[in-house]
Amino acid sequence: MNQELKKKINSSFPSAKISLPNESRVVIEVNRDAIISVLSFLKNMGYEHLSMVSCVDWIKEDEFELIYFLNAYMENDEEYGEIEKSTILLKTMISRKEAKYITAIGIFASAEPYEREIHELFGIYFEGHPRLTHLLLERDYEIPPFRKDFDTRKYVKEFYEEIPFVEDREEGKE
Amino acid sequence: MDRNQLTKWIKSPGNMGHKYSLDVVYFCTGCGIIEIPPSITARWDAERFGVKPVATPRQANLFLITGYVSVKTLKAVIRTYEQMQEPKFAVGFGSCPINGGMYWDSYNTVNHLDKYIPIDGWIAGCMPRPEAIFIAVTHLWTLIDKEIADGYKRYRDKYKYYRANQEKVLGELEWPPLFPEDDKK
Repeated sequence: MNQELKKKINSSFPSAKISLPNESRVVIEVNRDAIISVLSFLKNMGYEHLSMVSCVDWIKEDEFELIYFLNAYMENDEEYGEIEKSTILLKTMISRKEAKYITAIGIFASAEPYEREIHELFGIYFEGHPRLTHLLLERDYEIPPFRKDFDTRKYVKEFYEEIPFVEDREEGKE
Repeated sequence: MDRNQLTKWIKSPGNMGHKYSLDVVYFCTGCGIIEIPPSITARWDAERFGVKPVATPRQANLFLITGYVSVKTLKAVIRTYEQMQEPKFAVGFGSCPINGGMYWDSYNTVNHLDKYIPIDGWIAGCMPRPEAIFIAVTHLWTLIDKEIADGYKRYRDKYKYYRANQEKVLGELEWPPLFPEDDKK
């Protein structure tokens, strides 16, 4: 089953670390340069649906982890082999100091909103992305709010609590 | 008609009219909206109190904000409030609009809604029961009787302070001031 898939990927990408945590899940860890070629390789294998791009901030290791979730979508139920039933998690680590990466839009157009969201909340810049504008937030934050070193309580105290009540403003207490 | 209220009707028929026909625009920002369907339908039947939901803010005179207000939502809340016709009353439902509730330390939730729009009353609780809405409505009747439900007047008088607060959170606003400074003179 998944062992076949493991062999296939390993033959093309010998450096990829592949683990099988359970029956329906394949975790592939590659280094940062290989992601685009692995993504197109998997797409040609039939994993045509990028269902999510996720990001984890490992502050102690000083790295961001990007995770691409891939599924296979077949036209008919009969086309699903044993291999295609599993979800592929493609993981890579990128440096936290130089938070830059290449966009996957060229291969999967559905990566666009996810990369926009990661850019907004983690501050990772995706090269080649056509519009890295605000998606959920309304303004810029000094530190992107989903990074581990963003102190929400301090931010709330310094920003929202500092806004005076209208009654106070009138009395000149500003 | 209740005979005891006859003097009130003669004294200020306008107020009595507003009081018994509150058309509500429910702003479903958070979990509070789950209490609204039972309270406007057969189980609790808000229409006993003259409270009924309407389609657009232009037809409404009571604004019920049910749930936490994020920065993006605040923009919509302000625009909705400004579209309503006077006299208009705003009521915050649940603890989140009051002071942030359980989301008080979020990076994107405004903590005190009354810094940005005037609120006439609060319904505290997480979640308040539908009965609380009716208690709030009857309290609002008293406030309207005594003419202290004057949020819309405060908004007009202190508009520049409200606008300043709104701009502090949202940055440059896309719409022109509701009450330009020149009009007041």
